[in-house]
Amino acid sequence: MTLMLRALREHAPSILVAALSSAFGVSLISITGVLTEVIADADLNSETLTFILSFIAVVFIVIALYVGALVTANTFATIIAGRVRTIALLRLIGSSAAMQRRAVAREGLTVGVIGALLGGIVGVLFPVVVVGVGVAVGMIPDGSYTYATATMLLPVAAVALTTTAASWVGSRRVLSVSPMDALGAAGEQSIGEQTARRTRNRVALLLFLGGNVILGVAVAIGQTSPLAVLIGLAGGILSFSGVVMAASVVMPRALRGIGRVFGSSPTARLARENAVRYPERSARTTIGLVIGVTLITTFAVTAASYQSIIETAQKEMPGVYEGVGPVLTVTVAVFSVLMGFSALIAAVGMVNNLSLNVLQRTRELGLLRALGFTARQIRRMILIESAQLSGAAVAVGLVLGTFYGWVGAQSLIGGIPGSPGIVLPTMPLALIGVIVVAAATLTVVASIAPSRRATRITPVAALARA
Amino acid sequence: MKPTSTDLGLVARVAHLHKSYGTTNTRVNALTDVSVGIRRGEFTAIMGPSGSGKSTLMHIMAGLDTASSGSVWLGDTDISGLDDSNLTVLRRRRVGFIFQSFNLVPTLDISGNILLPFELDGRAPTAEEQAWIDRLIAVLGLTDRLRHRPHELSGGQQQRVAIARALATRPDLVFADEPTGNLDSRTSREVLTLLQTASREYGQSIAMVTHDPVAASYADRIVLLNDGRVVDDRSRSTPEEISSIMLGMEALS
Ligand SMILES: Nc1ncnc2c1ncn2[C@@H]1O[C@H](COP(=O)(O)OP(=O)(O)OP(=O)(O)O)[C@@H](O)[C@H]1O
Ligand SMILES: [Mg+2]
Repeated sequence: MTLMLRALREHAPSILVAALSSAFGVSLISITGVLTEVIADADLNSETLTFILSFIAVVFIVIALYVGALVTANTFATIIAGRVRTIALLRLIGSSAAMQRRAVAREGLTVGVIGALLGGIVGVLFPVVVVGVGVAVGMIPDGSYTYATATMLLPVAAVALTTTAASWVGSRRVLSVSPMDALGAAGEQSIGEQTARRTRNRVALLLFLGGNVILGVAVAIGQTSPLAVLIGLAGGILSFSGVVMAASVVMPRALRGIGRVFGSSPTARLARENAVRYPERSARTTIGLVIGVTLITTFAVTAASYQSIIETAQKEMPGVYEGVGPVLTVTVAVFSVLMGFSALIAAVGMVNNLSLNVLQRTRELGLLRALGFTARQIRRMILIESAQLSGAAVAVGLVLGTFYGWVGAQSLIGGIPGSPGIVLPTMPLALIGVIVVAAATLTVVASIAPSRRATRITPVAALARA
Repeated sequence: MKPTSTDLGLVARVAHLHKSYGTTNTRVNALTDVSVGIRRGEFTAIMGPSGSGKSTLMHIMAGLDTASSGSVWLGDTDISGLDDSNLTVLRRRRVGFIFQSFNLVPTLDISGNILLPFELDGRAPTAEEQAWIDRLIAVLGLTDRLRHRPHELSGGQQQRVAIARALATRPDLVFADEPTGNLDSRTSREVLTLLQTASREYGQSIAMVTHDPVAASYADRIVLLNDGRVVDDRSRSTPEEISSIMLGMEALS
């Protein structure tokens, strides 16, 4: 019973992530369908518009799936890290690593199926409500729309699959748990893993540099052709994949920088050490948020730079750009909402990883309390740690996003008639403010509850935890 | 007026202490009506068979766990009424710990672990304290290890770091739960001699939980627990005497 509860607590956030992705996919398809019907009825150039709408829907669903899978893989890695001792004990008494990993993958499958189905149901119902409201206020013409189609099974199946795959990837660490980990201090990596990491880091660096070169090429070509944005997209994916792969090298650097802000009290010093000490753990915790912030920033900076280039061009050659303003605003608004959804998924992952980290360290926190850390100091330490983690994630995301976003705008419309050529990126300050505030809120939410739980029990009980 | 602990020469004291775990139908009485005082400047061993309540007694005396009923004093402070943060500050300033295992903070190196109690108190060791710490480090053979992390040390070495940390601040009372449990007999002897010296030469009060009759023979006094009760309280004894008492007790239970 307690085992079931514990499993549920561990997996609830992954179920939520799967449900969110699936609900997003299903409702996007449904709403696209309704819009298509509306357009077809109005008979506006329907073929092209339908195609564009479907294309956009697919892109955003894929982004949500990607973010969801990444978050889930990280969550599973965190859960496995917390189970090392148990796994090692099972290995000690004769269970094979492959058996253990298959068991984790089965959990992943269950999580994926439950989440995808729940999300599917919500995803079917949500558009019904939205369209109902739309009709009531007169934005959408009254009519009988189809809300459920076979296509909707695609995102549901895709979520179940990606979640299972993510749990498989995230459970890689199971293979490296040795029965010895049951005896000694677990959590340190072996030499073999370190070597594998070095190769991985080299590949990551190559991807990052290669990607950036391609991005540069895209900017140059963008001076003459808008198709350069496709080259830019490829470059961006390569470059960002490099960052994600090398997260356990990149994030600790950023963490060290951010950590200085919090001063040198024992609480802050320990928090800084903790955040930097386990690079894998810090990378796992932050990468979801890095992705979320990078996505939003990329998009926002592209939109803002795009707008400013067009405004300049408009001044140069009025007439060419008549009526472009409102369309731009609506497009930006719709895309923001769609992007925001992926960011939400990333946020769920971040909160969950932070909380799991604290829960898994109950014993260490018990020792600190025995030695004289007050419960309040412990809570402050955890808060600072979380603040460092989210601060570093936001900083890295903002830098990357600004760069990618600038490349996006330059390569797309750097060469339009009247364009000022190469310009500095335009930073949407309000949005950056929102991101920082949202990240700060996340930090507090993610650290308060688990640190309270960790300090409510007596130090002895905490020390006795496995 | 009742005499205070200080009047009695005690550094810690419990009276009519009860501790039970679990709910009514799974209840375990870990301690039953225990009244005992730890004398200032003495090296006291708390002995008894496995499960007799030694660790529980130590945890409650140190303010790490709460009693089901009864009173607990640390010095003249009645700690049964203290809230968590006052209790914590008390521990930080007046008590040192050596646990059975998991003693060290994994993120700090050895030197950081030894100096942690000072750091928690927001101060650096005085010159005199530093000299004492250096001596502890030398005696415990940790000089070459100061920059290592705990996981790079053997179990015994980790235990020695914990001992250095517990003695570093010269607290009113050091609690040690099986401090030599992970050590070979030569290192054990060294550690026990060190504890004995700390007690004899510096008046360090020490309460040590142990199974080992040899370890207990280093103590000035031996308190014996069985099944949650104090069954004997005797002065310095030889390992042989202690063994025979323990054997007698195991035969009874
Ligand atoms: N958290 C707990 N929940 C339930 N029972 C407990 C708990 N902690 C200890 N006990 C029980 O209380 C009794 C005393 O335990 P304690 O750990 O004090 O023994 P001990 O003398 O230190 O034994 P050992 O020499 O094996 O360390 C035992 O019967 C034990 O099972
Ligand atoms: Mg014990």
